[in-house]
Formats: sequence, structure tokens, C-alpha cells
Amino acid sequence: MSGESGLKAPQRSATRPSLSVEALSYQYPNGTGKTLDDVSLDIEAGEFVLLAGRSGSGKTSLLRAACGLVPHFHGGVLSGSVRVAGRDTAECGPGELADVVGYVAQDPETQVISTTVSAELDLPLRFRGDQPAERARAVEEVALALNIPHLLPRSVNTLSGGELQRVALAAALVTRPPLVLLDEPTSQLDPVAGDELVWLLRRLNEEWGVAVLLAEHRIERCLAAADRVIALESGRVALDGSPAAFLDYAVGDQPALATPAALMFAGAGIKPLPAGVRDAHTILRQKGIDIDSARRSGSGKPPSTRRPGSEEQIALSVRGLWVELDSGEGPVDVLREIDLCLARGERVALMGRNGAGKSTLLRTAAGLVEPLRGRADAPGGMALLTQSPADFLVREKIGDELTGPMGKAALSAVGLDLDPDRDPRDLSGGQRQRLALAIALAGRMEGDELPGLIALDEPTRGMDRGLKDNLSQLMRRLSDRGAGVLVCTHDVEFAVTFVDRVILFGDGEKIADAAAGVVLSGGWYFASEVARVLNRPDLVGIEEGSRWLIGESTGRQPG
Amino acid sequence: MKGLSPISFRPGRGMIQNASLGPVSLYLGAYLVVCFFSSDPIVMLAATAGAVLAGLGSGADRAVWFSLRLGAILAISMIVINALVTSRGATVLARLGDWPVLGRVDVTAESIAAGAIIGLRALGTMVAIGIFSACVDPDRLLRAVHGFAGRSALTATLISRLVPLAAQDLTRIGEAATLRGPGANQVGRAAMANRLLAGSLDRSIDVASTLELRGYSLTSGKTEFARIPSRYDLRFRIVGVLLMVLALLGLFLDTGSFVDYPSVLYSPGLATAVIAGAFLAGGLCTWKRGGRRNVR
Repeated sequence: MSGESGLKAPQRSATRPSLSVEALSYQYPNGTGKTLDDVSLDIEAGEFVLLAGRSGSGKTSLLRAACGLVPHFHGGVLSGSVRVAGRDTAECGPGELADVVGYVAQDPETQVISTTVSAELDLPLRFRGDQPAERARAVEEVALALNIPHLLPRSVNTLSGGELQRVALAAALVTRPPLVLLDEPTSQLDPVAGDELVWLLRRLNEEWGVAVLLAEHRIERCLAAADRVIALESGRVALDGSPAAFLDYAVGDQPALATPAALMFAGAGIKPLPAGVRDAHTILRQKGIDIDSARRSGSGKPPSTRRPGSEEQIALSVRGLWVELDSGEGPVDVLREIDLCLARGERVALMGRNGAGKSTLLRTAAGLVEPLRGRADAPGGMALLTQSPADFLVREKIGDELTGPMGKAALSAVGLDLDPDRDPRDLSGGQRQRLALAIALAGRMEGDELPGLIALDEPTRGMDRGLKDNLSQLMRRLSDRGAGVLVCTHDVEFAVTFVDRVILFGDGEKIADAAAGVVLSGGWYFASEVARVLNRPDLVGIEEGSRWLIGESTGRQPG
Repeated sequence: MKGLSPISFRPGRGMIQNASLGPVSLYLGAYLVVCFFSSDPIVMLAATAGAVLAGLGSGADRAVWFSLRLGAILAISMIVINALVTSRGATVLARLGDWPVLGRVDVTAESIAAGAIIGLRALGTMVAIGIFSACVDPDRLLRAVHGFAGRSALTATLISRLVPLAAQDLTRIGEAATLRGPGANQVGRAAMANRLLAGSLDRSIDVASTLELRGYSLTSGKTEFARIPSRYDLRFRIVGVLLMVLALLGLFLDTGSFVDYPSVLYSPGLATAVIAGAFLAGGLCTWKRGGRRNVR
């Protein structure tokens, strides 16, 4: 695979480009400036292109322009041209482009139309006029490819966020369009499903020649699969080149876009930078660093996790918790016999596959769900930010959501400095997330007002690494002030930056509860990229990885 | 896994859930027409009660109670607001003096009666829409709309998805409102209603764009969806036609017309009794002999 080496130049075909963008500039209605500014690029048939950029850099707008939603649905002022399979999007709306482009947007809740999963996958084929046998085969194939055949008879109302995202993906892929545009498709997928999706896209790309344009913040997940990377900065193309060229650019100019392995290598002064884990292993072996020996030489001693010593120190106490939910298809056990305890000041990540019951645990602790048996108590109170930040944004001006010194303090704490007259719905995904967090925390950030537990459900959707770092710093500050922090996340790299402990759920049961260094290393999926590169049980972070590499390459190990 | 709004569609074995869209729309449409356009309080009450019976018979208990509760809140609000802002009428019940903004406030029996009619209208309409939303598969509705609005995904979405989207949002926004920090401005009913409407329209546009991207307008409404007949169709068709004819006849003849000014006048006649009786009995159309065996 070309991307895996990180050094091969992308291959271009001589046929008509799948997507051709020329001098594209775009401004949203009531927008204060250009979202896209003089963007020109071609995506050839059969290319796998990663679209990188920080939050608000214009990635989503470019994808919308490439499927005709901009300007046909979003309005605004557009100049330049966008051609999809030779069709000009100024003349063809998204409906007329549906047979040549598939699009999956960030928010899966608005991507699902029908009431059942099978009807959802069947609908685009019906619109296209396919025969029943063709439709049945296509639905079955896409369901198998995305590992969702068990979801086919389910009502979409009963699906978790991650399951919904896979269904939205399947619906976009079921017609096998020659160009697929994906906007953060792995943001709500567990690490296993996320990795599988990327390799499925690569397989579609290689076997069927489907051109893929993938916007993603978790670059480490897909860089190895990409032929080429386009990086946007403030609406302009800052780089258009190979994964290796992108890593050089990112490490030098935009560290927030660089992969953990590349940052680790750069920190240790090792070149070239790796595009993926296999690439990193090859480079390290060439440098004489034996990863297998390194694994054997690991200390193997897991760092201890904090446990509450007294009642006052308890942030969350869950005892014998059973939760049953009925979303219209009969009661289902979502949580079974859960026991866990969180101390104040502790930072914990709750991880596990999609639909494992992580969100339900948070909702039960917040009193939104009644348990069937057992208890979930947060004795010092609880602040919860749910999966959909838009639900917290009720008013038409930011200034009406948060007023007074407490509101301003909350906005400042999450790093938002926005015009108070701005409509929250006009904010980017990352900005909305932070505003919702500010609303949940407002008045709860100082002294006695600080709740015993602060819980966030998938808070990094739409955030680049820089924003995630800001969020983890905020969570550290709050935990240092005495709040327990519980983050439900699929983002392993985010978890690595600030949690002490990881609880792993599997189908409604707690299957692991240990220090972060133990759970997030040594595995295939629930492991950070650094851990997968170094294969050492307690090495998961970038800086410690760099230090270890420096020690190895100079023939000594740090103490 | 999310909590489901009471008025979200749930597949079930009830008659409304399993009948074809046309006959059911005709049947529930007759209730909607009477509740929304009639001004005969007995007919409106009977139609509301009939709609409640129809919903209960189909196992949509949660939707019925939810709609009744919401409709009752709306109805009481309308009675109170109308009593305070409309001082016209001959029968003054209370003189409340001068109020800021409103000026002189006299509560009259006529203004209360007029508010009650508007409230009753809202109540009955909400019950009928709530049952429709909970019992009629939006997919069927979408297919039907595709036949006559094959080029406008937005039209299709607004018709088939606006209420379900609002129902989904209501649960989630309500939960998020309880999770706001004490330093954030709290969410009142008005702000919530405003957000719900604006949010549902926004989300409708998002869903419409998804529908377009899925190829909604590719065949310009010529996509053929298999029609699945139901053994309940004939029943709903007959009862629906009968009720709709009676509803239109009642509106045309202006039976039991209600006058609220200068004083309350109401003269129900035989037509009122016939129409009210028909709509009340029509609610039993969804009930099976031997009890509510169709309830899940």
C-alpha cells in the first residue's frame, strides 16, 4: 500500500477527475469571512485522499461544496467551480449528483431517514430504480461489509450513536458511488469499528476504484491508508502532497495535525517520520531498535490507581447496577451488575464498543434513567455533557445562554471568546461542543459549587488535537480542584493525554478496570499509537515514548 | 440507546399501525378536521374523546396521555390568556383593575368561553396528530409523498418528518435543560418551544439534504413502492368516509353554532347529537372484539 511506506508519490490516472475544484471561494450567508478561499484541487478516480485541518479550517464546507449542498442547501456566495464526474455543481444540485457521489456528514442523527435499518439501506436503491434482487444483494453486502447485519431489522430509534454512524455510512455506500465524501466518519465509532471502516474504504478504493475524500481529525487512524493528504488552513490549501510530506509539514508547522507516532519520532530526532504503525516498526528496526526485546524488557508493573478512602472522597459510586431499556422493541438489558467507584480528583476514561452501555451509565448516574436494580450515586453532585451538544443550545444568541460573571468564567474556561450576538447554530462542531460544556459547567467551577463528578459523553467530536489538548487541560484543572472526571470516549489518543484509569465495557458489563498504562497498551485496538509502535506495557504517551526512544537509540534506558 | 418520545412511531399490532396510509389518513383526518374547524363544543369534545378511544384501541396509550397532557396545558394557558387580554362580553365575572401593559382587566364569561373553544381546538388537534405520529409509519408517509412531491425533498421531509423530529428533539432538549449549570440561564417553556420549532425546521432541512443526497429526486417521484394492503383498510375507509362526510356537513350547515359575543349563545340540535355520537362511536373502530388484545 502506497500510504504505508509514506514515501511513494500518489499515482494519478489519465481519466477525468472524480472531483475537480477550481479557484473555489465560499462564504456562508451572514458569515463574517470566507470559509473557503481560492481552493483548487483534483481528486482522480481511485485515489484515497485525506483532508486534514484544524477545527473551522473549511473541511466540512469543502465536502459540502463537493456534493452540491453548498450552495444549493446552505446558500451563501460561491465563486470558482466544482465539478463532480464532469458535472458542474452550480447547475446540478445534490439530488442530480446522487448517482456519482456519496456523502456522510458529521452528525449521524440527521443522516438517517427511515424507521428501520433495512429500510434505510434499501431507500437509495429504490430511488435509483434497482430491481428487488439487486437491492437485497446490495443491502446484504453493505451490511456485511460494515458488520451490521444484526442491526438490519432494528428500529433506528434503538441505535446508539456509533451504530447510527455505521448505518449512515452504509446508506451512503450502498449504491457504490464512484466518489465518497466522508466528514469525520469515525468520530463516534469504537476503535475496532473505526479501524475496520478505514480499511473497508481502502478495499473499496482498491477493488472498485472508488475515490475517497475523507476529512478526519484522528489522522493516525487513516494516514497509513491514504495516497495523498490535503491540508487546509483558514480555508486555503496549505499542503497537497504525500503522507510523508504531510507529516513533515505537520510536525514543523501544525503539530496539532501530526500523528502521535510522528511527534514521538520527531521528539526523539528519528527520521523519516512514520505514516503508520507498520511504517514505524520498519524504521525502528532499520535504526537497530528491537521492538520485541523492548516488550520483554517492560517493567510489567501497572501503576496503581487511586481509590476513595472515605465517603467524602467519593465522586461516583455504582453498586449492583442493572438497567433495562425499552425503545419500542421490548426491554433489553443495557447494563448488568455494574460495580465501580470513582474518587474525587480522579480522571477516568470509560471505553468500550458501540452499544456497550457507556452512555447509559452516565445517564443513570445523572438521574435521566431509572435503574432496574442497584444504585448509581454521585454524592457531591454531577455535571453531565451529553453526546449531542446542540441540545444545550436553546437560544438564538450566545450571550443569552450565558450571562453574568459565572457565564463569562465558564466561556473563558473552555477557551471560547465569541461575539455574544452570534447564533450558536452558526458555530463549528468543536465550538458548539465547548459552548455546551460551558453551559453544563457554568456556576460549577469554583470552590463549593464544583460538583463531585464531571462527566462528558464523547466530548471530542469535531475537535482537532489542539482543542482536545485544551479540553484535557481544563479537565485536569477541574480534577485538581477536587472533581472526579469521567469521560466516555472512543478516542484513545485523547484518553492517553489526561486519564489515570480506564474502565472498559463490553456489552453491558465491566470487563476491565485498571490504570491507563495497562489498558491502553499491549492491545490491537484499545491502545494508543505510541503503545502499538513501542509494544511496551506501560508506555502510552508521546513524550514518554520519545524519552524511551532516545534512551534506546543511545544504548541506555531511562530510569 | 436513547429514550423514545411518547409520540414517536412504534411498530405494533394495532389496527392503525397495520392499515394502509390512505384509509387511516382519511379516518384520523376526519377527527382533525372537526377538531380544528368546528366551533361546536359538544362535537369537538366528542371528537376528542373519540380520538382518545381510537388511540387507546391501537395501543398508543403513551401518545394519547402525552398529547392530552400537552393539549390540556395549552388549553388552560389559552383560557387564562384570553380571559386576561379580552375584556369584551356582557357577563363580567371579576374586575381586576389596571395592569401594566394589559391596561384595565375585566374577566368575562364570554372571554373564558371563547378561550375554552380555542383550547378545545388545540387539545383535539394535538390528540389526533399525536396518534397519527405514534401509529403511522413515517416511511409509508414518505413513500406516499414521493408520489406527488417527487422533486422536493424538503416538502417530503416537512410532511413526513417534522413531527417525529420534534418528538425526538423534545426528549433530548428536555433532558439537556435539566443538566444546565446553575450559572447558565435556565430554559423556560417558551424558550424550549421556540428552540423545538426552530430546531425541528433546521433538522428538517438537514434531513431533506440527506434525502436529496440519497437520490430522492433522481426518478422524479416515479419510484414504485410495493403497496401492502391490510384487512383493516375497508373498515377505516368506510368509517373514514362516513365521518368525513358528517364533519364537512356539520361545517357546511354550521350546526350547533357557538357565539361568544356579546353573550354566550349555544343551541345544539339533532345534528349536533348525530355528529357527536358518530365521532364518539367512530373511536371504537380500532377496538377488537374481546378486549384490547392488540395492545403490545
